[in-house]
Amino acid sequence: MKTYTFLIAFVLHSVASFSQPNQAFEEAMKVQIQAMNEVSDAESAQEVSNAFLRIAEAESTEWLPLYYAALIKIEAAFRFDINKDQEFDSAIELIHQASELSPNNSELTALHGYALMGKLSLDPVSRGQSMSPQVMQLFGIAINQDRENPRAVTLMAQMELGMAEFFGSGPQKACGMARIALDLYKTERAKVDESYILPTWGAPTAEELAKKCQ
Amino acid sequence: MNLRLILFCYLFLLQTLAIGQTVLSGRVLDEKGLPLPGVNVLIKGSYDGTTSGVEGEFEFQTQQEGMQILVFRLMGFKTIEIPVDCEGELLLIPNQKLKEAITEMNGVTISAGAMEASDEKKSVVLRPLDIVTTPSAVGDIVGALQTLPGTSAVGNDGRLFVRGGDASEVGIYIDGLRVANAYGTTAGNVPTRTRFNPNLFKGTFFSTGGYSAEYGQALSSALALNTKDLSIRNQGDLSLMSVGGGYSHTLANEEQSITLMGNYFDLSPYQGLVKQDFDFERAPFGWDLEVAAQKKLGKDGLLKVLGRTESGGMKIRQPEPGQEGSGPLIDLRNQYSYAQSNWSKISPKGWTWFVGASISSNSDEIAFDSIQTTRDNQLAHLKASTIRDFSDRVSMKLGVEHFINTYFEALPLQDLKRSFQDGQSFIYTEWDWYLSKKLVVRGGIRSGYSSLTQENWLDPRVSFAFQTSEHGQVSLAAGKFSQAPLENYRVLNKDLKNTQADHLILNYFWNKDGITFRAEGFVKEYSELVRFEGVPMDPVNLRNEGSGYARGFDLFFRDRQTLKNTDYWVTYSFVDSKRSFEKFSTQVQPGFAPKHNLSVVVKHFVTGLKSQLGASFAVNDGYAYTNPNLSGEMNSKTPGFQNLSLSWSYLPRPNLIIHGAITNILGRENIFGYDFSATPNAQGVYESRAIGQPAPRFFFLGIFLTLSKDKNANQLNNL
Repeated sequence: MKTYTFLIAFVLHSVASFSQPNQAFEEAMKVQIQAMNEVSDAESAQEVSNAFLRIAEAESTEWLPLYYAALIKIEAAFRFDINKDQEFDSAIELIHQASELSPNNSELTALHGYALMGKLSLDPVSRGQSMSPQVMQLFGIAINQDRENPRAVTLMAQMELGMAEFFGSGPQKACGMARIALDLYKTERAKVDESYILPTWGAPTAEELAKKCQ
Repeated sequence: MNLRLILFCYLFLLQTLAIGQTVLSGRVLDEKGLPLPGVNVLIKGSYDGTTSGVEGEFEFQTQQEGMQILVFRLMGFKTIEIPVDCEGELLLIPNQKLKEAITEMNGVTISAGAMEASDEKKSVVLRPLDIVTTPSAVGDIVGALQTLPGTSAVGNDGRLFVRGGDASEVGIYIDGLRVANAYGTTAGNVPTRTRFNPNLFKGTFFSTGGYSAEYGQALSSALALNTKDLSIRNQGDLSLMSVGGGYSHTLANEEQSITLMGNYFDLSPYQGLVKQDFDFERAPFGWDLEVAAQKKLGKDGLLKVLGRTESGGMKIRQPEPGQEGSGPLIDLRNQYSYAQSNWSKISPKGWTWFVGASISSNSDEIAFDSIQTTRDNQLAHLKASTIRDFSDRVSMKLGVEHFINTYFEALPLQDLKRSFQDGQSFIYTEWDWYLSKKLVVRGGIRSGYSSLTQENWLDPRVSFAFQTSEHGQVSLAAGKFSQAPLENYRVLNKDLKNTQADHLILNYFWNKDGITFRAEGFVKEYSELVRFEGVPMDPVNLRNEGSGYARGFDLFFRDRQTLKNTDYWVTYSFVDSKRSFEKFSTQVQPGFAPKHNLSVVVKHFVTGLKSQLGASFAVNDGYAYTNPNLSGEMNSKTPGFQNLSLSWSYLPRPNLIIHGAITNILGRENIFGYDFSATPNAQGVYESRAIGQPAPRFFFLGIFLTLSKDKNANQLNNL
């Protein structure tokens, strides 16, 4: 009996060793997602973004590391004093690469809209005319691709609020969308467990937006 | 064998594997040997790697063994891959130098002569939106370009005049294909406008000299308009204006889009309200229909189609100097069509392909009292070109073109007619060579052949640009430019050869955070200009005998940064031009080339009013003219031209714009020259009549409404 136990243990270990690549991917992703949430300056943003790009290079069929690398670049361009246009452009480039691996992906479409929204914010007077319809369209497509994607709805709400502020109309529409997004975040949170590595960001933004109407 | 032992051995081996780690360490530098932080250093195919630090240093562990590939990657630099042998504990990597890749964004661009309106590129002088929000332009593309350096406003003409050249010296292209008769036909000193609506275009490239070998048949300037790519949504655009109205409808999906547009204008009601100085018997009127379609073909291909047809006319009486009465009646009717299609493909392997064809067809019927004239001309343009990027440092452009030009004019009542047809073939090539990120040399050559004159010619062009500081650069351009004479001269003398110009341009360009400064000096030598005896309506003895020059400089300053919500630009152009041409036997200053030209445009957005307020001011030192009562040619000068225009764009809702503009608000009586009687009166004096404006001011009011599911769409581009 003991022999069998050892044998089973041996086999299991081997199986575990063989399945390691996938597990290693998840592990590596989790480590970097953790690091992403602790980014505090442009240098650390680049380190984490580079780490995701290394994973992307080794796992050439995974869209998620490219997604996170792009997300960090976008967030860094919003937060830090770097060449913002260049950073948004390279994020869009990464999103295009990711979209080749995973077409019609709502998260990627929404992120593309987010990057373009960043470019728009750098020069709204001259870029607004051509870019704001593109941004709205991307968020619209992202919502259609996955009606449960809270980030697509949150970003759309953010864009709506910007428009409403510019034209002096009320923020009601934006708030309504933000509240829908908050419900979607709740549903999403229920799905999150130890091994969850898909995007979960954006809930605080939706909360901020929802507060505008109180 | 004892299973425990087997297990022990297995675990021990695993342990050993885990211990087999190598530490890689080294430094990454740039071309100059300065440390390069942020470089992604990795072992290919593994997650192992790190990012280089402030000193370019890196150090990381890997569990990979044996021969591996170490990769150094940083955006904007060329990737390095080196083989490494991961044996042992510590592996010191020799210093690695990353070379910067030259891209459209970081490489110096040739700015001599060039002015670009684009949202994307650098070295941009105007944004596409500026074209429609410049008050004096009232929505005309060329009207906005007249606020740029190197141009002069000629108020009784309305066309684009560049650096001492006449309006025909500007070649106008849509998507690289030539447009003939791009301006509406007009008569009797009523200024004209560009036929094409600015909202068709996503970008504009305007050159005042020294331009690419891709453009020919233009002595002074090339104006390249690029149409929009795929529309992104379905929408309807309705416009109601003080001079007419129109509707356009767009249908779009992800693969294709089409826009259909119709407009009608008639100045009669407007002229009923606002008194005109010109004696219009029928105010200018017209309609147009336009279609623009775009379709994605394959992954990187795009097919575009643009078609336009229009019809219009006017009747005007022009009193003649020294004569009683209201003068002869000029009755003008015009029909015009333009169609083009082009296919382009940008392949990721460094090839760009373009194939296109266009046809312009213009027909004028002009009655001058009882004398009726007709004039028809067509221009077909076929073009194929390719761009090849051999590396980030060398690229080549190669193209072939063929033009078919027919011209016909007649006096139907007298049964007199004459015509000509010319076929012109061109081949051109141009090479860009980046010696470094900061220095580029461009050499090009354009060769042409005309079937009518059997003439062969070769136009070499060269330019270079050098980045002198982080935000500043110097460019130099030189070249030879050829252009066939005007069609109404060629039809009289089919042996007329090309007219020619040589350009030399030195440019300084500085651009940082919304502030642009541009200074340019130029010399242009004309030769083989057409001369004749008699009057322009009936020239005799046409020959290539004229010559001349234009030299000067211009300054441009734009600031979108310093004052909040305010954007302004100031332009000063100095042109010293003299030429013997047309009926002038000596070298004279042409009537369309004022010496000093100043223009100021200011736009200010008032958030509280949801409005953009605009003002533009233009002034020059007057137009030369010949007074037959004095001796010599071009012996006099009109008073200086002045125009202050104001505009107000109000955006009450995201999909609604109300736009109002008043040109020449001060009502200055501008004079562009004088007509003189053909013979002196009893006192021996040639009597004169000033050539002025149709009315002191022009008022424009328009309401633009966009109907779309997306309520935020608006028609700002249609202003």
